[in-house]
Amino acid sequence: MEPQDIYYNKAEYVETASGNKVSRLTVLCGSQNIVLHGKVIVQSDAIIRGDLANVRTGRYCIISKNAVIRPPFKKFSRGVAFFPLTMGNHVFVGERAVVNAALVGSYVYIGKNAIIVRITFICQIERSVLKDCCYIEDGAVVPPETIVPSFTRFAGSPATCVEELPECTLDLMVDFTKNYYEHFLPARV
Amino acid sequence: MDGKMSSNNSSTYRRANLKIAPGAVVCEESILKGDISIGAKTIIHPRACILAEAGPIIIGEGNIIEEMATITNRQLPSDAPEPVTVPVQIIGNYNVFETDCVCESYKVGDNNILEAKAQVSREIELTNGCVIGAACSLTEQETIPENTIVYGSQCQRREMNDKPYPQIGQLDFLLKVLPNYHHFRKSNVKSKPGGPL
Repeated sequence: MEPQDIYYNKAEYVETASGNKVSRLTVLCGSQNIVLHGKVIVQSDAIIRGDLANVRTGRYCIISKNAVIRPPFKKFSRGVAFFPLTMGNHVFVGERAVVNAALVGSYVYIGKNAIIVRITFICQIERSVLKDCCYIEDGAVVPPETIVPSFTRFAGSPATCVEELPECTLDLMVDFTKNYYEHFLPARV
Repeated sequence: MDGKMSSNNSSTYRRANLKIAPGAVVCEESILKGDISIGAKTIIHPRACILAEAGPIIIGEGNIIEEMATITNRQLPSDAPEPVTVPVQIIGNYNVFETDCVCESYKVGDNNILEAKAQVSREIELTNGCVIGAACSLTEQETIPENTIVYGSQCQRREMNDKPYPQIGQLDFLLKVLPNYHHFRKSNVKSKPGGPL
């Protein structure tokens, strides 16, 4: 199915040489600590907290409106720290989602209003396994210190695995994010 | 100076009614409207939203109010009986309001945590040490007993056995880190009248 074109106001978005499209209406705190690896879309009113710790995304990530990307906080026996947040390639973050994970793998879909609470690993990448496809449904609350395994769909509060995903999820997510990027066009004046 | 007289000049109005104690960290990108007092060591992240519509909001010491969290002293519905006194919203000390939570509660004690997207409506009194879990919503009129945890999709409750640990660590870390990245609103009161500092 061919997705519909989404038009944006050209004056509102900044396009970088590597193809990132970032709205001017976002709050990017500590921008020197944020790395967007190219072809990333950050839509209006999204918040990325680079001031707390480094935030790094892969290619073809889509961060929707009002989403919050925030490095997770962890208390140790001595002192406290914010963990750097790493996101893989082809990740979709839905509207008003709150991502507090330490690691988000590749080919991950995070639904609208989903909450990922503190130090969650979505598909911890083991060195040999690079396919890590997960689907977090709209409104799911992934509790702290969860590891979401590859090829699973999580839903509910607290979120639990509801079904396994087929092997083609990887291709579906690649198609989905690439199509989204290609159909995210400046409005014709 | 009478703040209400100059309501046509909104910036003067706002400045006159915003009291920030020394040592508080209030990011410039936060949204503050109306009569608000902020205690020492309280951290207000960018895009946090505090709206004093019906009356003043008094925030104590050492609170953390994260981005997109909303604290409102909401205008009473028009059919409600006229209140005898001006409704004041009081927030105690060392509370944490996480991302995108909504707090309209008229009285919040100490050491409470409202997790991401939690909602607490006006008639609810939070005592001390309560944790309102992620995406939980409380709407009925009640007083939440001390050390209650509300969690899960059905808003189940249980009592916490140990006292919640105040978020001093996070507070100190933020107080150290945030000044490197943000512009702040300046503190404008020497000491809180009638309150401890």
